[in-house]
Amino acid sequence: MSLLQEFTKGIIKENPLFRLVLGTCPSLAITTSVDNGLGMGVAFTGVLLGSNIVISAMRKIIPDSIRIPVYIVVIASFVTMTDLLMHAYTPAMYKALGIFIPLIVVNCIIIGRAEAFANRNSIVPSVLDALGMGVGFTLALVLLCTFREVLGAGTFLGFRLLPESRAAIMMILPPGGFVTLGCILGFLNKMQSKTA
Amino acid sequence: MQDYFIIVISAVLINNIVLSQFLGICPFLGVSKKLSAALGMGAAVTFVLVLAGLLTWFFQIYILNPFNIGYMQTVAFILIIGALVQFVEMVIKKYSPGLYKALGIYLPLITTNCAVLGVAILNIQKDFSLVKTLVHSTSHAVGFSLALILMAGIRERLESADIPKCMEGVPISLVIASLMSIAFLGFSGLI
Amino acid sequence: MLDIMKLAVFLLVVSAVAAFGVGYVNSMTAPVIDKQALQMKTDSFKEVCPQGEEVKNETERYLKKDANPLIKEVNVAYKGGVPVGVIYTIEPKGFGGPISILAGFDIGAGKVTAIKVLSQTETPGLGAKAKDPSFQDRYKGKSAEADLEVSKTPPTKDTQIQAITASTITSKAVTSGVNAARNHFAGNFVK
Repeated sequence: MSLLQEFTKGIIKENPLFRLVLGTCPSLAITTSVDNGLGMGVAFTGVLLGSNIVISAMRKIIPDSIRIPVYIVVIASFVTMTDLLMHAYTPAMYKALGIFIPLIVVNCIIIGRAEAFANRNSIVPSVLDALGMGVGFTLALVLLCTFREVLGAGTFLGFRLLPESRAAIMMILPPGGFVTLGCILGFLNKMQSKTA
Repeated sequence: MQDYFIIVISAVLINNIVLSQFLGICPFLGVSKKLSAALGMGAAVTFVLVLAGLLTWFFQIYILNPFNIGYMQTVAFILIIGALVQFVEMVIKKYSPGLYKALGIYLPLITTNCAVLGVAILNIQKDFSLVKTLVHSTSHAVGFSLALILMAGIRERLESADIPKCMEGVPISLVIASLMSIAFLGFSGLI
Repeated sequence: MLDIMKLAVFLLVVSAVAAFGVGYVNSMTAPVIDKQALQMKTDSFKEVCPQGEEVKNETERYLKKDANPLIKEVNVAYKGGVPVGVIYTIEPKGFGGPISILAGFDIGAGKVTAIKVLSQTETPGLGAKAKDPSFQDRYKGKSAEADLEVSKTPPTKDTQIQAITASTITSKAVTSGVNAARNHFAGNFVK
């Protein structure tokens, strides 16, 4: 597989949210507005990039029997650093994402990539893998956010598209999150069965 | 007393951990196909969540706070939860093979259940006392089990329903979750 | 045994390096975070009580045991050593949980200068509008002499506050908090 493919596979073919259905908790909770989705995507990509680099660099010296605890320590440290940096330099975003920043630590995608990819590949492919997965996750979040923000608040990134009285508040409340993700997954299944 | 009542109602119904806080979605979707599995998962999560809530609370108050290293919270909590899950698994395996058979396969999944870490962090964020931590963790665990069991009940009936092929499995479950979440919205304003 | 020691040492080293890294980032960001929290506090004080130059927390002096439990903090704003305003932190219960509000009063005029909702968990699009200036401005300049009340129609009296459409509970909660502060203010600061 070429290096380019390592990058692009995360965006469509193995999109972590839409194809692998991993990392659903933050994707439903914080996708109420597009800027939240972008912020979460960037934070997530940063953590994944850091953990993939470190784990890939250490893959030959990590004893097999304790690899999971080591991954957890590495990931948790990157999450904490991201948490502190966001608290210091992007306080508004920090407040909006709240508890879901520390919870990146239990996002199955990150530990999944560590185990399935970074542990077996050298640094360059691991970096590309992390970036691809990060971009794929971010795009998925932004897509979810777009549906929810446009329909639920009538805005896109703060610009008003629909009059306020036409907005369906339900879409930015919890039920809107579930139903949007459900419909997108259903639609993708339909598309796939057609092409296959 | 009123305080406790509010914590219970709000954690179980109003701010239900799955349907309105979006924590623990993975097991909620993954282990809700069979009612019996949902019961097992619910019991395992309740057990770990309450124990983890208490342990992390003690750790925060007696170790992180006095040494002023609150920023190590995430790292410390996830390690405690991971170790706790392993420990519980070993103990149950040794002393109660029956229980291990029932819960065993769900236990490893719990480490990456964000509900457990989420509730542990919420306990600290809300500045709860030990008793409140206990009540809060238990109520959230009950809320999780409730949502999971309701979902499993609905999905068992769905087996015989005629749904479009592309919506089978996870997509239809999410739509059901959405409807359940609307129903639970009706509880807000209860306190 | 030797193997276990090796594993333990490895894990210990990894954790130590990780803790060092996190500690380093923390030492870098902690001053920025502290400064920001302080800045945010002084900014919001300035917003609800622009006439004060120096603000002192005098909760212990003014908040007696029998005071209204909705009042959490009392800050007094001084100008040239003379108290000119009072800023209350109040926390009434709204639809979705406690709403934290700052309410500023002018001692000279005996009026509300402004209120500011600090944090809330009200329904987005409905009760959450409490944090919009259009609602908060409805309290500006209200007299501290009589209790304020919520009306669903445009106010006909000076003591009435128009509710947020479809969010009477939130509006009533905010008003009850402001009333608690107003009562305390009238009893302690107005001569």
